[in-house]
Amino acid sequence: MAQQKSWRDGALQLTTLPLVLVFAAFFLVPLAMTAVLSFQGMQNYRLSWTWNLAIWSDVFSQWHYWSIMGRTLGMASVATGLCVLIALPVAYALVTRLQKWADHVMVLVVFAFLTDAVLKTFGWVLFLDRSGVMNGMLEVLGLGKAAVDVLFSPFATMIGMVYNLLPYAIFTIALSMARTDRDLVLAAYDSGASRWRALREITLPLAWPGIVAGGVLVFVLSLGVFLEPKVMGGGTSPMAAELIRQSFETRVNWPLGAALTLVLIVIGAVSLIAIGGLAFFAARKRGVRV
Amino acid sequence: MRRRGLVDILLPLSVVLVLVFFYIPIATLVLFSFTSSRFLSWPIPDYSLRWYGELLADRNFWDALGNSAILAGVSTVVATGLGLLGAFAWLRYSYRFQRAFQVLTFAPLLFPQLLLGVVMLLWFSVLTGWLGTSPGLWSAVIGHVVYITPFAIVIICVQMHGFDVTLEQAAEDAGASRWQVMRQVTLPLLWPGIFSALIFAFLLSWGNFYITYSLSGTARTLPTYVFSGIAVGSSPIYPALAALTFAPAMVLIVVVDVIRRRAAKRRVGGRTAD
Repeated sequence: MAQQKSWRDGALQLTTLPLVLVFAAFFLVPLAMTAVLSFQGMQNYRLSWTWNLAIWSDVFSQWHYWSIMGRTLGMASVATGLCVLIALPVAYALVTRLQKWADHVMVLVVFAFLTDAVLKTFGWVLFLDRSGVMNGMLEVLGLGKAAVDVLFSPFATMIGMVYNLLPYAIFTIALSMARTDRDLVLAAYDSGASRWRALREITLPLAWPGIVAGGVLVFVLSLGVFLEPKVMGGGTSPMAAELIRQSFETRVNWPLGAALTLVLIVIGAVSLIAIGGLAFFAARKRGVRV
Repeated sequence: MRRRGLVDILLPLSVVLVLVFFYIPIATLVLFSFTSSRFLSWPIPDYSLRWYGELLADRNFWDALGNSAILAGVSTVVATGLGLLGAFAWLRYSYRFQRAFQVLTFAPLLFPQLLLGVVMLLWFSVLTGWLGTSPGLWSAVIGHVVYITPFAIVIICVQMHGFDVTLEQAAEDAGASRWQVMRQVTLPLLWPGIFSALIFAFLLSWGNFYITYSLSGTARTLPTYVFSGIAVGSSPIYPALAALTFAPAMVLIVVVDVIRRRAAKRRVGGRTAD
């Protein structure tokens, strides 16, 4: 169906060149620039083109940076696991039980996804606050005075992260499940497979690419959050993005910020490749063609 | 028919629970927007529209609203235009380096927004240092375009996926020029996808925090206005702002859904009528 085109073709140039230009100038060049800047220094709040490894030796000798990177990785992994675990039954229910409602549910999810994250995070603060709605409701239910203090803890940060990233997992997993051929599942039933077995041997393997894609997306995006740790976590256990923000804003050290950004990008890319590889082998072992 | 079991209750229940989870902060904000008290604590002592008035009297709010509108308007049009071009190059053609083109135009979606913003900020800072200007709304527009274009490509590609090429060929056989085919056959067929991309892009840009925060210099949009406010202390004008902006967003999303469904129905109807 796709038309074979050579690069001399006008239509191909028209549809590709503007994008190549924009993405090269404002995505590739900035990435390269970040790498270049990490070898410079800062003097009197001004960039000085020194070309040395001072920043990198600082980055590799400070345990502080790496413990924050470690915490970020941990939080991102937990958030990814939770998002996939929550999204799986939801997507499965939408595709197999609630077809009639699926469109409406998706509209509601899209709305929650597209509204201003700062406001939603602030909404969580009002809800979870010591004198907030949740504790008020607990009191009405007779669970009494023991006000639950969850706000400003890593747990609250996790609620915020799952909240803001869950739609990505739901969209990708529901999409891959919706494209699964229902007849295959029915055929499995007809040949006597139990529901559980059909789920394990037909539905999950066929949805596997979507599950991996959703997980990867959530993981990568959760590496860069600083809104939730700051607003809901109270800034007590900062994550990598906060560290990067501080190096730009508070310490006005661009080369340091550039180097830490690169470290986070590399961590993200390496985990991506690792997850991708693992998923590939796991799928192959189960005899699914990817 | 299979026997109904516990699973048939648990699965729908999970959907309900997730929806409740999604709407907890949204409902909380709307609830608190009607408080009469200065303090955002439960229970709400009395209901009033006082804070809507305070919000509308705040000059900074109007500035932020104007900036948000300009930023979202411009980035939406540019990102959707690029997305439409990109969708053709993604699906309709095949050529050398197609895979590289796809990776390049999809990669920003896999980037945490803050990093995307920071990386571009570094570049713009160097660039503006050479040019003698400073980052502002214009650099935020560029940031939003890079961030949102991949979304637009994906949305338009979904519409393009079921595209019936024979319709174009028929128009060509009937003597239509390439431009006429594009305007009278291709674009109308893609319109539902383009329309959802426009709305999706607008709302993504409107609600964007990280990229605006990194790139807009001193200009504030609604999300960064709220962020700088709640960093200092909470005020009841923010729930009022939330309630005011949620309503039109919900209307837009419902409109998109209705249009998309109508288009899908027409397509199915056309097929069965053949």
